[in-house]
Amino acid sequence: MKFLIAVMEFRIALARPRLVVLNVMVPVVLVLAISLGGAPGFHAAAVYTVLFTLFGTFGSSIPLVRDAESGLFGRIIRAGIPPSHFLIERAVGGSAIDALQLLPALTIATFGSISLNEWTRAVLVLWSSVWIANLLGNLVAAVARSLAETALFSAVTALLLLHLSGVFRTPLPQSSWAAVEALSPFQTLHETLLAGLMGTTTELSLGLVVWVLILPVLTVLLARPVTRSLRTASDG
Amino acid sequence: MNSVPADQTAPTESRLASLIKVSGLHYRYASGPPVLIDIDLEVSAGEIVALLGPNGAGKSTLLRVVLNELTPESGVITGPLLSMKSGRVVMGYAGEENAHFNSLTGIQNAHFFARAAGVEKHEVSERVSGLMNLVGLSDEADKVVSSYSFGAKRKLLLLEALVHQPKLLLLDEPTVGLDPISRDALADILKKCSQEGSAIVMASHDLNFLEQLADRILVIDEGRVVSSGSQSELLSSLGTATRFQVSVDATSVELPQYFGEDVELVDDTGPLVFETTRGQAALPDIWAALISARVKILEVEVREPGLAELFRRVTGQELPG
Repeated sequence: MKFLIAVMEFRIALARPRLVVLNVMVPVVLVLAISLGGAPGFHAAAVYTVLFTLFGTFGSSIPLVRDAESGLFGRIIRAGIPPSHFLIERAVGGSAIDALQLLPALTIATFGSISLNEWTRAVLVLWSSVWIANLLGNLVAAVARSLAETALFSAVTALLLLHLSGVFRTPLPQSSWAAVEALSPFQTLHETLLAGLMGTTTELSLGLVVWVLILPVLTVLLARPVTRSLRTASDG
Repeated sequence: MNSVPADQTAPTESRLASLIKVSGLHYRYASGPPVLIDIDLEVSAGEIVALLGPNGAGKSTLLRVVLNELTPESGVITGPLLSMKSGRVVMGYAGEENAHFNSLTGIQNAHFFARAAGVEKHEVSERVSGLMNLVGLSDEADKVVSSYSFGAKRKLLLLEALVHQPKLLLLDEPTVGLDPISRDALADILKKCSQEGSAIVMASHDLNFLEQLADRILVIDEGRVVSSGSQSELLSSLGTATRFQVSVDATSVELPQYFGEDVELVDDTGPLVFETTRGQAALPDIWAALISARVKILEVEVREPGLAELFRRVTGQELPG
């Protein structure tokens, strides 16, 4: 594996400084507004979780569909990059860039309420969550036939998983929903942010670990159909 | 600009080996009409094969089936190329998509595609800069691709298809967007590739380019190969006659019977079509005969034997452009 795609993701990000600034500043401004506005911790944590998750899914799916429509995706695969390498490397590069761009917002959101150790843990949870979001974005892009569909499917998929992760409701311990939440991908991110904002502690949920490991395997298994579908998009 | 001597056309032994063979190929897009019907094509190392046909004839689809991007309805593609074990990608393709990493420079794009196709890291810089010189992109190598003209993007696309020295190069309209100097440079590069044993299959409407390069031509119309052979075989099938198509206003005027030595009126149902082996020297005689019969001449079109005339006669259509 030469990690050509992951390296290209970084090169492209560095070649577009205006976009990097926007990607850093927009979450920072939103987090600042919510923090300074005195929003209750539970609501603030929900908003931040949605923001960080959508950042990952949209940032992955929309450029992929755009590249498929322009024919660049087809050219890359034709040039000799195996589809599974392409999708995984793209998520590796994309999630690392997303995590770096969201770092200031995360730091502001949790500033003064968590220790350095907890902050480090929060960064790792953020990175793992945007890794999942990036891989989801790749898969969602495969079923979309336009940028508008991509945005819609990305939002619906992410919001559904956020709902299953318990982001939009009060957790009900011992209920069957609690089991679903524990297996859902974004519960740990939500709980981590909640703990950071409200000064409570949280455990690493099984859901995050499962999704971090299972989704790349699924991506490899689905790489060929995803590639075929994306190529169909470029054929119109 | 570096160029490759055009006269190094001596066939080599590598020219004899068949690389890929397409037999009885049929293809249709989902629930659409057939796009390729019973196509046979064999390409040998060092050979340059041209696909000639009107828009929608199936040329680009054929290239994509050979690339294994489209699965044929029936038919087989065989040949040593398909089982070749190589650290590099064995085919190169420059199609109609002029898509690049637009926010990166030309050289960054070229390096990426070279490495993706299996060119070793230590070889990439030399290979890319050599090709940048050949296609005339050296001055723009460090500029971002979004600032490139259409022609410069096309050159970069061709460079990226060539950079790993593929065994089979598939080109779809390779001269579109190229100025005459770049076009000649491309012809030189392709000749060199062919001499080094690469086979080239290209679809193009650029007849001068095809005449300059093609060892063999397949004329494709409505998904079928309607004529094929070497240029000389195809042109000899046309005969050596020059045709003149003369649009006249001949209302209430009787046409003369004699138009000069070795000039024959072969069609008078629309514009008058004359055929002669005397070439354009016969035109004054035809002109004089028509004028003396008080026929008003509106337009004269000379059709020398060539690929354009071959195409017109085989398909009954004019080539676009």
